[in-house]
Amino acid sequence: MISTLILGIALLIIGFYAMLTQKNLIKIVIGFSIADTGTHIIIVSLGYLRGKTAPIIDNAVNAVNAVQEVVDPIPSALVLTAIVIGLAVTAVMLSFIVEMYKKNKSLSIDDYQELKW
Amino acid sequence: MIKKVVVLLSIIGLIAIFMPMITQFQERENLNELATDYVNGSIHELGTPNVVTSVIVTYRGLDTLGEVTVLFLATVGVGFLLKGKSEDKIEISASELLETTSSVLVAMIMVLGIYIFTHGHLTPGGGFQGGVVIASGFLLMLLSNVNAKMNHSIMHFVESLSGFAYVGIGVTGLVLTVGFLSPKILPLGNFGDLFSAGAIPVIYSLVGLKVGSELTSILVTMGGEK
Amino acid sequence: MVSPIYILIMSLAVGFLLSIIDRAGRKISLTAFYGVLTFNVVLMANWLYRFVFLHVPTLVINTAGFKAPISINLELGLMEAFVLFFANLSGLLAAVYLFKKFKETQVSSLILYLLLIMGANGLVMTQDLFNMFVFLEILSISTFALTVLKKSRETLSAGFKYMIAGGVASTFFLLGVVFVYYFTGSLNLGNLSAGSFTNVGLVSVFLLSIAVFIELKPFPANGWALDVYQSVDSGIVSIIAVVNSAAIGFVFYKIMPLLPSEFLTVFGIAGIVTFLFSNMMGLKQDNAKRLLGYSSIGQMGLLLAALIFTANVQPSVRYLVIGGLFLNHLISKAGLFWLAGIVKQDKIKDWGILRSRKPLLVLFGLFIFALSGLPPFAGFWAKWEFVKVLVDAKMFFVLTSVLVGSLFELIFLFRWFTSVVKNTDETNEQLASPGKSKATPVIVFGLMAVISSFGIMRFFYEFNWIQVLPIFAVLAISLIDSLPSKVKGFLSLAAVAGYGYYIYPLLENNLQMFFGVIFIIGSAINIIATLNRKNQSRGFYGFLLMMIFSFGNLLIASTYLEFFLAWEFMTISSFLLILRGQKAQRASLLYLIFSTAGAYLIMVGFSFAPALSSSGGALINVIELVNLPLVSIIVLAIGFMIKSGSAGVHIWLPEAHAEAESDVSPFISAILLKAGVFGLLMLGISYISFTPSFDVFYWIGWVGVITALIGAFMASFQEDAKKLLAYSSMSQVGYVVAALAMITHLGWVSALYLAFNHMMFKSALFIAIAGVYYRTRTRKMYEMGGLIAKMPLSYITVLMSIIAVSGVPPLSGFGAKWLIYTAFITKGWYLQAGVLFFASGVSFLYLYRLIHTIFLGQLKYEHQDIKEAPVWFIIPQYIFMAGIMAISMFPNLIIKPLNVIAMKYFDSSIQIDGLTVISELGHWNGNLVMYVTMAVFAIPFILLLVLKGKTQKVKQFNIVYAAERPESPQTTHVAHNMYAHFRKALGKWTLPRVQLFWDSVAEWSHTLGGFFRRVYTGNGQTYILHIVVYIVVMYVVMGVK
Repeated sequence: MISTLILGIALLIIGFYAMLTQKNLIKIVIGFSIADTGTHIIIVSLGYLRGKTAPIIDNAVNAVNAVQEVVDPIPSALVLTAIVIGLAVTAVMLSFIVEMYKKNKSLSIDDYQELKW
Repeated sequence: MIKKVVVLLSIIGLIAIFMPMITQFQERENLNELATDYVNGSIHELGTPNVVTSVIVTYRGLDTLGEVTVLFLATVGVGFLLKGKSEDKIEISASELLETTSSVLVAMIMVLGIYIFTHGHLTPGGGFQGGVVIASGFLLMLLSNVNAKMNHSIMHFVESLSGFAYVGIGVTGLVLTVGFLSPKILPLGNFGDLFSAGAIPVIYSLVGLKVGSELTSILVTMGGEK
Repeated sequence: MVSPIYILIMSLAVGFLLSIIDRAGRKISLTAFYGVLTFNVVLMANWLYRFVFLHVPTLVINTAGFKAPISINLELGLMEAFVLFFANLSGLLAAVYLFKKFKETQVSSLILYLLLIMGANGLVMTQDLFNMFVFLEILSISTFALTVLKKSRETLSAGFKYMIAGGVASTFFLLGVVFVYYFTGSLNLGNLSAGSFTNVGLVSVFLLSIAVFIELKPFPANGWALDVYQSVDSGIVSIIAVVNSAAIGFVFYKIMPLLPSEFLTVFGIAGIVTFLFSNMMGLKQDNAKRLLGYSSIGQMGLLLAALIFTANVQPSVRYLVIGGLFLNHLISKAGLFWLAGIVKQDKIKDWGILRSRKPLLVLFGLFIFALSGLPPFAGFWAKWEFVKVLVDAKMFFVLTSVLVGSLFELIFLFRWFTSVVKNTDETNEQLASPGKSKATPVIVFGLMAVISSFGIMRFFYEFNWIQVLPIFAVLAISLIDSLPSKVKGFLSLAAVAGYGYYIYPLLENNLQMFFGVIFIIGSAINIIATLNRKNQSRGFYGFLLMMIFSFGNLLIASTYLEFFLAWEFMTISSFLLILRGQKAQRASLLYLIFSTAGAYLIMVGFSFAPALSSSGGALINVIELVNLPLVSIIVLAIGFMIKSGSAGVHIWLPEAHAEAESDVSPFISAILLKAGVFGLLMLGISYISFTPSFDVFYWIGWVGVITALIGAFMASFQEDAKKLLAYSSMSQVGYVVAALAMITHLGWVSALYLAFNHMMFKSALFIAIAGVYYRTRTRKMYEMGGLIAKMPLSYITVLMSIIAVSGVPPLSGFGAKWLIYTAFITKGWYLQAGVLFFASGVSFLYLYRLIHTIFLGQLKYEHQDIKEAPVWFIIPQYIFMAGIMAISMFPNLIIKPLNVIAMKYFDSSIQIDGLTVISELGHWNGNLVMYVTMAVFAIPFILLLVLKGKTQKVKQFNIVYAAERPESPQTTHVAHNMYAHFRKALGKWTLPRVQLFWDSVAEWSHTLGGFFRRVYTGNGQTYILHIVVYIVVMYVVMGVK
């Protein structure tokens, strides 16, 4: 669906914009999450077939001509994995921030540039 | 100032990269070859009504095992990072009303979670969804009762053993020479029954348990509890 | 055979259970942990063996009971097994290295580590794009968490930057994967190819490939990686630098078939740019681990470029290039990171502490040598083949970048190495014992470096044992290094004799024989002087033998590679010998830099040369049938002239000669410089038959002439006796080069004559000065004087030698000059002859200075009790004296064979009639000249004896300026700044312009490095911006539409 595709890409770009402009570590991670979500929406929208339904055989979908009636199951499967992985990464990022805050009492990314050159 | 311009330019650049995707987007009309194989295979070979589940658990089972591993790693990693007790413990007890209603709700949520992951091959649900629901139950518990103690050992055992059992099922497939992670180690049963689709519900239940316990333990660790 | 999928299974099963197992005790969990890691290594070793030796076909593992593309499949072929064996081995060894940490920290670290290694295995084997994403995330998350194994402000902020960068990259990777699926309907690599993507579909592969590329840390979007390398625990960093890079690099290799060739070219160039810039920025770095980080990033860039640019060459070459670079990087980088963890010093200058643990120092040297791509290590062979590939493909930009980048890398690595070996300003701190668990991995990888080198030589090349003899010489001597140095000296003498006996029958040509005499017999005589060594001199004789054997191997080398190998061995060994000098850090580094630059040119020159048609005999003999292209001649000539110390590229020469130990200098001056001459001669031989349109040798002749002049002038202004001799060597070799460049019969006869003569008198002079230095402990000539009374034997040597140098009758130098001027005049190079004539005049200045200020005049007070030089110095001097006398009396002893040698290539231009040599322009009878001169000398000598009057002794330094006693009275002596008036007269001409030029080159590259590295601001957000901008720029450059 083109509208969801545009939405996904928009979220992706917004996420990146946040990551590039926000100084607060947590906001940067939120930016990352938004971009990640955008990616997930893009994945799903690429698997959509016009006017078709979820790939589950039940009363609504006949087992015999299921192929003609369902959307692509693969992106749905992929997005599930992607979501979980995104969650895992976000969790680790946030725990980094917790520890960084504990050590330095600062959440600004500008305060963490002692390693350089 | 320069930085702002560069940021703006790079954002415009990103938009430019994705622009052709939008302008030349063509909505697909039919399933491609691979997806067709999956839909047919899921119905006829695996006896699984939910095609997405058969893709996740069987056809792309290695992905799912990896996915579970990623979550496991996140749990371990978060625990590794946030070791040590949090300094400020709040000693407030929740009101009785909150405690009672939440414990009733928690029980119901747990049941819902279990339902979701055991019916993953039949309905739009599955191990991950079920696991997340279970974890949300624990989250409710944590939020409603700040002093709630989670039994870490049990959580670890569930987490570890369900993961181990998942791998074990995979290896059973190898031993029975039907292939690593193949669901055919168990009979397919009747299409649409709860006990059908080979090992898929078993795997999905283990995934559910694992995801539930892992997410819970992430929540607990992040909450500063030890 | 056990399927490699069990690596995944075992790791996961144990990984999941580890936290439960750990409750039974850390010992049990550690056993399980190391058990799995060992299992991985053994399994992969077995598969590697089967692929290499049993040639089993690639193994395909399907999962879920379905065939790909329905299900995800894994593949294990030769490449995968090779990468995974070494990745798992590094994983195991790094785990051993981390043993103490693992024993103490939470069990979580074990789990993370185990699954990290599993992730790498899965990433390499999987054939499914999305599965790749999953394994990539497994690898990344476990790495992220492990970066804080040592928790500190630095590791946390580095880890966070790493995560954000990794997160951005994996977002793009994921997008790429799903777009690929959208456009092709497949995720399996087996179903995809570059043809699957057209128009807008290209965006999908662009996203996919750029994401992997970002993970491989391209310049400048790699600041996050540097921070990680700098701060994270050494054991983990070694894994990041080696295992992660290998696995992700392999992913790039796997997706390469999906990319259109324009993409690949851009990526290849980006890789090379990364290599060049990382190494340039490394020049400014003083933090050891960050330096290794720069080097790692650079190496990955090089590896990627090699992957891309060798795509179309034959597989064995490709395997050698990629495998060699990979292995070299893996072994030496892991080894160095581990050492960094043992040394525990951030700053490079504090690494001198390593000297207190000799075995670790040796390993450090080994890794530095390997990383710099010096033979016999894997990187050398890879570079050699890669350069050939690039030359054949005419990719000159890439070629230049590879070589310049390599040179930068060599510079900072060896600056580090020499400072560790030589740095003097350190407290006598002892390095704490690293303990078994930390030392073992380093030792194992040290052995791996050696074994892999011999493996490559064994499987890819057909070398005679003699070609690697130089290495064995070092090993053999190191075994008996505890013997007294005299014993080793005699053994070395015997070894050189044995070597000479062995190669004698291989020297089919007179020219080879002639250089054999210079290289082998000359060296043997010079060894005698080293017998004076009192201390143990550990390592000295090993490197000396290595150098002498490499000289010999140059003569019998039958291919370009054999020649180049001997050449490099010669460079390495002479570098190590020079480094032994007390203050030789700078000198040896300068020598190595120039030599390596020269070696790169030689490598390029040989790559341009046409293949040798027949393998019939030594290169020097078959080269006349080889039509060298012009560019080949030019770069080879420059390479050889660097070694012979020609003007412009000579600045290494005086320092190296002066700072080397005094019994090493004669080898360098008298023999090593002749290797350059030998190389030029080789070019000349090909040049005779195939003269190119552009007369290269005319200009080489001019360079020789100018070298002779500059060398003579510079020598005159030296206060340091050894520097004076060094510049004199430069000047003399300039004559040789000029004569050789004439490419005429007489030119060559005179060049060889001069070369031989120079070998003898310069050896004698250096040994004589060595004796003086040994007694006076100073090299400054104005601090000496009047030593004639104390060291008469040395005086006679110096006197005879300078007569031989200056070209006055009766000694051999006269003959040389006669021949040379005759040759120039017959060739018609009048102007050159004039300049050389002038240079000869100048050389009188320095020769006079040498003998006057050291031996004549008044004896210094502190030298009252000095004795004659030790006998070991006197013996070789007089052997050389005897030689000089012989060829002075009977020049035909040498002229005749030289005439024959040159007649092989030209018609003879001289006739030999009894004792007389007759040329077009006249004749020379050395014997007669000798008698006449002796008579001329005898008459005034007798007169003087008869008329000897009373001499009056004056106290030295009784000079007083207005009642003020000068601070350092020696400086008021005539010997100090002896030719100040000449210097004044020459004015600006005496400025060390060449030195200034090279100084500014060095300064510029450092400044540039310092400028570029400012992009690494340390701000994580800026790093994200770099990545995004990089992606956008690459998108534009690749012209994805």
